[in-house]
Amino acid sequence: MGMSKKVMICDDDAGILEMMEMLLDEFGYEVVTEQDSTRALKTLEEQLPDLLLLDIWMPVIAGDQVLRNIKLNPEVAAIPVIMYSASTEGATIAAGAGADDFISKPFNLEEMEAKINSLLKKERN
Amino acid sequence: MTNNFKNIPNQLVLATVLEATNTGIVITDNLLPDNPIIYCNPAFEQLSGYPRDEIIGHNCRFLQGKDRDQAERQKIRSAIDKGENCVVEIRNYTKEGKLFYNELYLSPVKDEEGGITHFVGVQNDVTSRKKVEQALEFNRAETEQKVMDRTRMLKESEEYLSSIIETIRESLVVLDRDYVILDVNNHFLNTFKVTINETKGRTLYDLGNGQWDIPELKKMMTEILPTNNPVLDYEVEHEFPHIGKKTMLLNAHRVEFEGQFKDRILLAIEDITERKAIEQRKDDFLSIASHELKTPLTTIVGFMQLMSRLMPENASPKFVSAFDKTGTHVTRLNQLLSELLDMSKIQTGNIELHKDLFDFDRMVGETVEGLLAATPSSKISVEGSTGTRVYGDESHMIQVLTNLISNAIKYSPDSDEVNVHLSQVSNFVKVSVTDRGMGIHADELKKIFGRFYRVRSTQKSFPGMGIGLYICEQIVKNHGGTLWAESKVGEGSTFSFTLPIHGGRENGDV
Repeated sequence: MGMSKKVMICDDDAGILEMMEMLLDEFGYEVVTEQDSTRALKTLEEQLPDLLLLDIWMPVIAGDQVLRNIKLNPEVAAIPVIMYSASTEGATIAAGAGADDFISKPFNLEEMEAKINSLLKKERN
Repeated sequence: MTNNFKNIPNQLVLATVLEATNTGIVITDNLLPDNPIIYCNPAFEQLSGYPRDEIIGHNCRFLQGKDRDQAERQKIRSAIDKGENCVVEIRNYTKEGKLFYNELYLSPVKDEEGGITHFVGVQNDVTSRKKVEQALEFNRAETEQKVMDRTRMLKESEEYLSSIIETIRESLVVLDRDYVILDVNNHFLNTFKVTINETKGRTLYDLGNGQWDIPELKKMMTEILPTNNPVLDYEVEHEFPHIGKKTMLLNAHRVEFEGQFKDRILLAIEDITERKAIEQRKDDFLSIASHELKTPLTTIVGFMQLMSRLMPENASPKFVSAFDKTGTHVTRLNQLLSELLDMSKIQTGNIELHKDLFDFDRMVGETVEGLLAATPSSKISVEGSTGTRVYGDESHMIQVLTNLISNAIKYSPDSDEVNVHLSQVSNFVKVSVTDRGMGIHADELKKIFGRFYRVRSTQKSFPGMGIGLYICEQIVKNHGGTLWAESKVGEGSTFSFTLPIHGGRENGDV
């Protein structure tokens, strides 16, 4: 399956990571997980995924800061990013940090799949 | 005496005067034993009621009857011994035993060697004057007693009042019309770390180097209070130099007597700093807790959706039913957590309104469609229209409408009809959601918008936290509208809200 897209997810919660890994696998993506937001940029640079799912509320370095750091690195700045959070303000924070899209917790499977696919398609074109 | 009388021709004239005057006069002979009366005039007979022949030869004391213990007698005795003049008021008795007050002038008559030969007593009945005097004296004593009683009562009630004032855990300040402090209680002194000497006689705004010169306080005292007496629960936050930031709840009262403003203003200051801090901690806790709970819930929801996809075609109906029920309750759990999160945001003032123009009727139509899809058994009808776009936060409006319609369905177990009526009223849109459900008691109608309030009769059969309507009201308020309910028990309820079409007054961002 050399054609399968690589999706990376960064979240401090192991349960979310485990669930998302299974879910994204079911969608047919190759999955990379990162639980430590301080290592998010490094993993991103190493793995060069096609898309990043990024939690907003994380300890030490919050998601929006991670994203700002990504945007400063030309090698990875173009990778599309979907941020997510449980609160509605998350949408504002995500937009402010330069995320391509936002989804709220808990995830709606159809919505998430549609948004991921749409961004991956855009990237291919 | 000699000089005064040197032009008077003879003794006869003097005798005539004595006889004719209506003042009682007696003369006693001091050279005879026991100082007997040797002369009395007709006026004295009149005065004493004794005839002349019963008077002459007697000592004057017979007039005192048995009333011999008068202090005045000592005065008379002393004057006679020393040969001096004296004036006394003495109790005397007529022949019939009737008391009269005798104002007696006693004068000695001396010979050339200075020896006392006679005494002349000039007597007036001053009983009526004495009675008036006594009555006055009695009144005075009585008045004095009354004043003392009153003073004691006043003192007692003052003590009583001041013990109340000193006991309550609220700061009290009494001001005159120029905001000069007349008095404060101890709680004020303790709370704001000032002494009575630094306080009394100062104006409120000069107090403690002007640390009470607070614009909101001034506005309340000078602008609001004169036309809105009393002012209650006026919240002021202020940073004090020594004691730090305080949140105060002010109650101000202009003391009026029979509708007229007197010159006193009572200011009660409640320090709610602590209470506010506790509320803040509670809201922070709510926010963090509901946020934290969302994370594992997200995992559960994700796994359930995955399970739904992986569900084998031939899964048993029992398994599918159990799975679906799990889904329903997980959704409910998520709803409750969202409400908690919303509420903590409302409480801390963190709610963000994303206002934009949106088609109100379309929003209502779509919301109702969504609800019909979720509860196919219910009949939700929409009547009327607003025919306008509204400036507001559409997602919040959907939340309010969803909540009101869901409540209408939830509390109408025997009727599935819910009516949504839309109209435009002046520069407002109005939405009314009517059900034919169980209705709400009049005394509970106002409380249902309170935080965590549950109508008692429904607590068991309809679980929930009682924050949905609270959030709705806050959202509508944040938009500059109002939300209210009308209801009849057994017939149903109508929940209505209005929204200003062009956004609330406070919106500078329109």
